[in-house]
Amino acid sequence: MKKSLFDQGYLDEQFCQVEDLQDEASPNFVEEVVTLFLKDSGRLMSNIEQALEKYPRDFNRWDAYMQQLKGSCCSIGASRMKNECMSFRDSCGQGNVEGCMRAFQKVKREHAVLRQKLESYFQLLRQAGATGAATRSIK
Amino acid sequence: MARKMIRVLLVEDEEIHRVMARAAVKAAAGAEDDDVLDVAENGAAAVRRVREVAPYDLILMDRQMPVMDGHEATRRIRAMGVTTPIVAVSSDGLPADVEAFIGAGADHFTPKVSQATRQCRPCDACMRHGQQYMIDLCK
Repeated sequence: MKKSLFDQGYLDEQFCQVEDLQDEASPNFVEEVVTLFLKDSGRLMSNIEQALEKYPRDFNRWDAYMQQLKGSCCSIGASRMKNECMSFRDSCGQGNVEGCMRAFQKVKREHAVLRQKLESYFQLLRQAGATGAATRSIK
Repeated sequence: MARKMIRVLLVEDEEIHRVMARAAVKAAAGAEDDDVLDVAENGAAAVRRVREVAPYDLILMDRQMPVMDGHEATRRIRAMGVTTPIVAVSSDGLPADVEAFIGAGADHFTPKVSQATRQCRPCDACMRHGQQYMIDLCK
C-alpha cells in the first residue's frame, strides 16, 4: 500500500526521511508526525477558509496562511496536496480570486483523500504488527 | 573522552516542524542525554532566551512567525553582540529571503522543504566560519 501512495504521487521522498527518523526510542514517530500533520493542516485550512470569507482579495494574508499549510505538507512529503497549495499561491500572486477558490477546493479534496489513505495505511501497519506478535507467541 | 555538551536553540512556531527538527537534530548529531535542544516559539522568545540563558552553540531560525519574525530576531541577536552561528530555515528559499536573512546576520540558509536532516548539515558552514567545535553536532 505504501508503494501505491508513492506511485500515485500522494507522498514523496520526504516521507522516507520521516521514516528514517523513527527508531527504537520513538517506535511510533511516523504515525505521531502524521497525526500532528492532519490536526495541523485541518486547523490551517480552517484559517484559510475564514480568511477567504472575512478578508476579500487580501492576497497577502491568504498567501501567508497557505505558505504555512504548504510548509506542513512538505514536512511529511504530502506531494499532491503541496502542489495544490502552490497553485493557490500562484493565483494569489496573479490576484486571481477565482483561481484561489478553485485551488483551495482542490487542496481540501487532496487533504481528505490523503487523510483516508494514511489512516488506512497505519491501520494495516497496526494489524500487521499485531499479527506478527501473535505469530511469534504461537511459535 | 566525553565530548562537550551541545546547546541548540530551535526557533519555530509550528509544532510539526519542531517535532521534526528535534528528531533530526538528535539523529544527525548523535545527541547524548546531556545535550540541550531548547525551543522558542517566536522571534521575541528567541531573543529573550539568548539574552537570559547560557550561550548556545547553534541557533536554527524559522522566518515566518508571530510576534517577531526570524529576520528581526536575527538582527536583534546580532545587535546584542552574540556570535552564535545562526542557520536560517525557511520553506521558500527565495533569493530575497536568503538575502534578507544573511543581511540580518545569519551565517547560513537552508530550505525547510528539503530533508529534515539537512537542518544539521549547515553546520558545515559554521566550520567555514571557524567554529570548529560545531563538528560534534554534525557527526
